Amino acid sequence: MDAVRLWSLSSQPLKQLIRTTTTRLVVRCCSSSSTTTGGLAPKAGGRSRRLSASTSTSDKDAVRAIRLNKVQELRSKGLEPYGYSWDRTHSANQLQHVYKHLENGEETKPEEDGVSIAGRIVARRAFGKLAFLTLRDDSGTIQLYCEKERLSDDQFDQLKGLVDIGDIVGATGSIKRTEKGELSVYVSSFAILTKSLLPLPDKYHGLTDVDKRYRQRYVDMIANPEVADVFRKRAKVVSEIRKTVESFGFIEVETPVLQGAAGGAEARPFVTYHNSLGRDLYLRIATELHLKRMLVGGFEKVYEIGRIFRNEGISTRHNPEFTTIEMYEAYSDYESMMNMAEEIVTQCALAVHGKLTLDYQGVEIHLERPWRRESMHNLVKEATGITFNEFGNDLQGAKEVTLKNLGADLDYKYKSSIEACSSIGHLLNEVFEIVVEPKLVQPTFVLDYPIEISPLAKPHRRHAGLTERFELFICGRELANAFSELTDPMDQRGRLEEQVRQHNEKRSAAISEMDGAEDKREENDESYEVTLDDDFLTALEYGMPPASGMGLGIDRLVMLLTNSASIRDVIAFPVLKIQQ
Amino acid sequence: MDGEGTNKISKTAQKKELKAKHKEEERLRKAEEKALQAAASCAQPKGKNAAVDDEEMDPTQYHENRLKYIASIENAYPHKFHVTMTDREYLEKFGGLENGEHKEDITVSLAGRILRKRSSGTKLLFYDLHVTPGGWKVQVMADARISELDESEFSRFHSSVKRGDLVGISGFPGKTKRGELSIFPRSFTVLSHCLHMLPRPKPERGVPENANLEIAGGWVPGTPRNLETYTLYQETRYRQRYLDLIMTSEVRQVFKTRSKVVKYIRKFLDDLDFMEVETPMMNMIAGGAAARPFVTYHNDLNMKLVMRVAPELYLKQLVVGGLDRVYEIGKQFRNEGIDLTHSPEFTTCEFYMAYADYNDLMTMTEEILSGVVKEITGGYKVMYHSNGLDKEPIAIDFTPPFRRIDMVEELNKMANLNINPKDLSSVEVNTYLKEACKKFEIQCSPPETTARLLDKLVGHFLEVTCVNPAFIINHPEIMSPLAKWHRSKPGLTERFELFINKHEVCNAYTELNDPVVQRQRFADQLKDRQSGDDEAMALDETFCTALDYGLPPTGGWGLGVDRLCMLLTDSQNIKEVLLFPAMKPQDDQPPTGPKTAGA
Repeated sequence: MDAVRLWSLSSQPLKQLIRTTTTRLVVRCCSSSSTTTGGLAPKAGGRSRRLSASTSTSDKDAVRAIRLNKVQELRSKGLEPYGYSWDRTHSANQLQHVYKHLENGEETKPEEDGVSIAGRIVARRAFGKLAFLTLRDDSGTIQLYCEKERLSDDQFDQLKGLVDIGDIVGATGSIKRTEKGELSVYVSSFAILTKSLLPLPDKYHGLTDVDKRYRQRYVDMIANPEVADVFRKRAKVVSEIRKTVESFGFIEVETPVLQGAAGGAEARPFVTYHNSLGRDLYLRIATELHLKRMLVGGFEKVYEIGRIFRNEGISTRHNPEFTTIEMYEAYSDYESMMNMAEEIVTQCALAVHGKLTLDYQGVEIHLERPWRRESMHNLVKEATGITFNEFGNDLQGAKEVTLKNLGADLDYKYKSSIEACSSIGHLLNEVFEIVVEPKLVQPTFVLDYPIEISPLAKPHRRHAGLTERFELFICGRELANAFSELTDPMDQRGRLEEQVRQHNEKRSAAISEMDGAEDKREENDESYEVTLDDDFLTALEYGMPPASGMGLGIDRLVMLLTNSASIRDVIAFPVLKIQQ
Repeated sequence: MDGEGTNKISKTAQKKELKAKHKEEERLRKAEEKALQAAASCAQPKGKNAAVDDEEMDPTQYHENRLKYIASIENAYPHKFHVTMTDREYLEKFGGLENGEHKEDITVSLAGRILRKRSSGTKLLFYDLHVTPGGWKVQVMADARISELDESEFSRFHSSVKRGDLVGISGFPGKTKRGELSIFPRSFTVLSHCLHMLPRPKPERGVPENANLEIAGGWVPGTPRNLETYTLYQETRYRQRYLDLIMTSEVRQVFKTRSKVVKYIRKFLDDLDFMEVETPMMNMIAGGAAARPFVTYHNDLNMKLVMRVAPELYLKQLVVGGLDRVYEIGKQFRNEGIDLTHSPEFTTCEFYMAYADYNDLMTMTEEILSGVVKEITGGYKVMYHSNGLDKEPIAIDFTPPFRRIDMVEELNKMANLNINPKDLSSVEVNTYLKEACKKFEIQCSPPETTARLLDKLVGHFLEVTCVNPAFIINHPEIMSPLAKWHRSKPGLTERFELFINKHEVCNAYTELNDPVVQRQRFADQLKDRQSGDDEAMALDETFCTALDYGLPPTGGWGLGVDRLCMLLTDSQNIKEVLLFPAMKPQDDQPPTGPKTAGA
């Protein structure tokens, strides 16, 4: 806990801090450590600097060997190259802030104003009796100003001979602003806390390999501090969402990831097997059906922030596991969720940027409320001139008009998906996705989806064939999906049964189609089973209050607020293809 | 903890005992319920109370009648009901009315579930309205003279309102002549229908059945619970948690408590500038703990994946990357049997703190645990049925500091052994421990590795003494492949486990950050694995490479959130604190063959 407390103090008598530096003289007690072989001379400071700029395998191995020798040398001197702890008085950023008044050339008195910091060495320059090291910690960077006379005994030689870029060191000393204006810790004592064995990649050439950036995220973060910023902002966004919904009285709950039936969405689930129960389990594809059970149980405002899993392809917008918030509120309808969506997104934007106008990939996005609210019918009419209400049940007629309207140069892919639509509702949605969706750059609530594509939403109180559902679009991407929840158990059963029936139809069609090409079967989208969640329907029969619910994709929100082009930029360890 | 063998025996015995207990419980309950129903129908002359008549009906018939009724009405499931007040606000605002006083000029709207219905003729009915989980109940006095409906409509409508229905009420506040705060409805809407007969609630402890506006359920966290007073069978409670939540306010309090525990831990860490992160739940290798993982398959990538058993290795990679203080609260998955303290998915909090060691973490553990207990219960002591529901509960004292037990030193003392931690890898030590186990009749199932033998001995001699929170510290290196060697005690590591009520709740250490030693430890684990210990840890080369880049001195900590919640809610079964616990498939028939006596 000392470390914790010291963290926030701005000054601390130095004497107490020396404790950790002196206890560093620990002799290794575990024989298994002395497995490294001697050989290469450790005096290779200059050489290792050259090597640290390159990352080829053989060079890496050479650097590793050299540094392992330094590990040995440190131990032979009674110094532990892997320290136990370090008490810090400040973070680098705090120092920059606290001592910003210091004039060029000015120094604080070491006996009065001693500081202690720790972090990774990311740059070094050494001259005869002087060395400058750049130390970086979680908060930022600061220079270490090392003078031979100021350091005790042979510490300066150790610094020159044994410290490499990449090492984690702790240092104590006074604060001095150099003549050139660089705020520095004027080091009186230091310790290697962790000896790094591999060279850091060169900032400019090292991590151009995108794939490697994701595979070795930690290297990415060391080489590009702005990467860590994305994850700091992500933490802030999640925390802000929690704060916002809890201020409205929502309670956080945890529902199961492993389920007997995967419901609440249409997606291919991951399947696993529980040995002792002797049964297949599915990873959840949504939290919806369990959170609704909570409403039945009497909780009126619940939410869950958690991981969802879908066994689907990966892309810049899709990762097999992703994070959502789903929230449910009794006695409210989808209007109230629209306000909630506005509240959450604007609060997060303010927390991250302090303003509501932001840049996303070169486009200026305006989040000032209220956001546009328009029905899907009207948006499609606006974009195409087609009034879908007029078709009645004439699906074929509707398709003809649509195809004529969208023009002959329409992509074949779209043409066939229009042909494949099984209802007017599906067709409307298809046209919406092709024509309207990409244009919804500024925040827009698209309202009143057709009932055919909204199996969990309540029928619209005024418009037959539609549901009280909205999706929120920003930058042409769906960010949230919400509805007045369907509470009628008979209606719900009918719709879910229809969903299962349709799925099985597609599935058997797909399977018979696949019969010729055996090896493609696994890749087919529909070749998984969908079962009815009977227990959910029973819960509804006990009565669920009128309610609205919303799901919001947190990864996509973070992408928007951090101006990240790919979902892989906002997930610390994204799923990647197996390395060749 | 006993040896593995006795453990197993006692577990099956326990299971049998439990099963028998359930059967007996069930039988008693059924008898009891019959008696109750009989009493109710005797006490109230037929025809007077329609509600009671309904409930004598066969459940299938009841369900069908309800379906028929729903089909006969317009807009059976309204879209929205505007609630103007919570139950708490209602009580605060109108609790001070005089007996018999009515505020007819005020209109309020409340909504909730009806858990009780009594009628005093066709023109006057009383309902108990439960508004929020674990909150208050409000009496509804439906009087035909006040209602917007005419008399015949009124009586027809109210005969269709059933126990379990969710209703919205607009009316005025007032107190009955007997002094019960009530709401007098002008309009009364059924918002959602309960199509099944709701089980009859048992009167809850501390709440007389006719008490009005009392805190529903007298239970508060840290005090003992009495599961025997619950209306539903245990099995039903877990399978149909929503019913459990409807029927028992204590259960709602349990899950609210859980939510508060998580919130407290999060705030504690946020206040220390920790950053919450999310690491993958699906990996190529299940690392960070010794456990059997769930296996799944990604179709599109044509790739086998395993569910994580611990987030440890990823979180340490983030510390390597420069995030000095990170934590993750999330699910872990272990493909193991289900018992009173194990569930296939469970929630942990792990945090990693650069430049801190296990001494710092012990202090923090004391602060977090005593802090959360204080926050939730108001004191440091928690009452817990440690010795079974039929015995008196014990008090578990969370007052810091917690006792610290040096593992090998104390084991040597208590068992009169002479284990030298410097030389645990030898065959002699292994033989010595085997003999020790034999001497104390501690069974260890094969493989009898030194690590496993030691674990059994520690379970037998040390863990059982840890009822109040106690740290068992300085584990041998062979038991702790990811912990750093002790700075002054050869052969040991800087590790601690926190035990409460004889169960492990926390596990933490100064992290091993020497990549050479880490690889060596993984190699040693491989040896154990080859000798048949399939729980030995697998080498994760990605993780070792990260260590090559340098992990600062770091303290790492893990907490079993479910187990902590169990202690605060007097739960002996982990399923009590999981909303939807994993259960055997319902269609599973009990094993066929002759029923053995007592089973």
